[in-house]
Amino acid sequence: MIGPIISSGIVSPAWDNIFAVIIGMIMGFALESSGFSSSRKIIGTFFGYDFVVVKVFFTAAIVASIGLLYLSYFGLVDYSQLYIQPTFLTSAIVGGIIMGIGFSMGGFCPGTSLAAIGVGRIDGMVFFGGMFIGVFLFSESFSLFEKMYYSGSQGPKMINEVFGISPELFTFFLVLAAVGMFFGAAWVQKKVKKVEY
Amino acid sequence: MERKYTILAVLLIILALGLVILPKKKEQKEIDPKALLSAVVEKSRYLSVDLVTHRIIENDPTLLLIDLRTADQFKLFALPGAVNIQPDSLLTATTLELMNQPGKDKVLFANSDLISEKAWLIATRSSVNRLYIMKGGMNEWFNTIIKEKPINSAASSSDLDLVSFRNAARQFFVGASETTNTPEKPKVKEKVQVIRKAPEASSGGGC
Repeated sequence: MIGPIISSGIVSPAWDNIFAVIIGMIMGFALESSGFSSSRKIIGTFFGYDFVVVKVFFTAAIVASIGLLYLSYFGLVDYSQLYIQPTFLTSAIVGGIIMGIGFSMGGFCPGTSLAAIGVGRIDGMVFFGGMFIGVFLFSESFSLFEKMYYSGSQGPKMINEVFGISPELFTFFLVLAAVGMFFGAAWVQKKVKKVEY
Repeated sequence: MERKYTILAVLLIILALGLVILPKKKEQKEIDPKALLSAVVEKSRYLSVDLVTHRIIENDPTLLLIDLRTADQFKLFALPGAVNIQPDSLLTATTLELMNQPGKDKVLFANSDLISEKAWLIATRSSVNRLYIMKGGMNEWFNTIIKEKPINSAASSSDLDLVSFRNAARQFFVGASETTNTPEKPKVKEKVQVIRKAPEASSGGGC
């Protein structure tokens, strides 16, 4: 598990897989109860009739940011111990475009397709199968993409540092943007014809 | 939007605003003595000159080289991308800000390990993470990378790979023409002393 509980020595790394299973189950439950196992609900974001995906992800981001910063402030979490995924700009852009196309065509992202399989949805199984084939083909032809994959390396980068502001101020702006988006989404949803699914 | 969601949104804004207006903690964080001891005995805080050189050549964005030598020495020669910091300014706000950059491996070095060890201890006590020492400092770097060493004929393939890497690294740092190869001496024509055979005594006749 990547996080300060393990790296601080509070919990032994031997518990990694146990944590992974528990967190995975909680995540799956949260996804299913938010309606993320339905591709029609997810695709609603692109057609403007259901913004639950954006709302859930934004809520998760702002609650986690605020929580983490408060825990760090009160000395309960060592913020500097967090693992930050390195940025590879080119592959992030290319991967983001492919992911976006796959998301809008298939109605799932990798995690939600597994949640859909969990409740027995066939479209989720087909999506997962396609994803598996894609992963296999990519792995087998990795040498062709290797240069692009590692290009644009910028190391672990925090967005607040790019803007030259504190993490607290960035979180405040993020919350304002998220709340603005919540109201905007509610307004759009009212204007768009309801879809029954 | 429903009223309950509006209330939650307002609550989130208040909490986020609280983060911005809360007074910043002024007390200097110091590492726990037990954690410091465990970090001191940990050998992984040393990076070999070969590894550092490899990361320099690879242009590793996570590498931050901190040169603790004097400014004059730094001007004479410095590793690419290295930042010169004097040991007495190690705890200034600017230096700590530099060393607290997340995601960077800070590598300290001076001429030998003496100053780097002290600097490592002080910075680690000030809770600087991902801090390393280039083992042996610039002296070791120069002796290993720049100075050419003769290859042992019984060297293993991994040793040969290392030598080949060091040769390539040497060319990277000082240029191909500046290698320490001994130039070939111009060939001097050796005078061949001809020793002429003494004329054989003529045979006294055939068989």
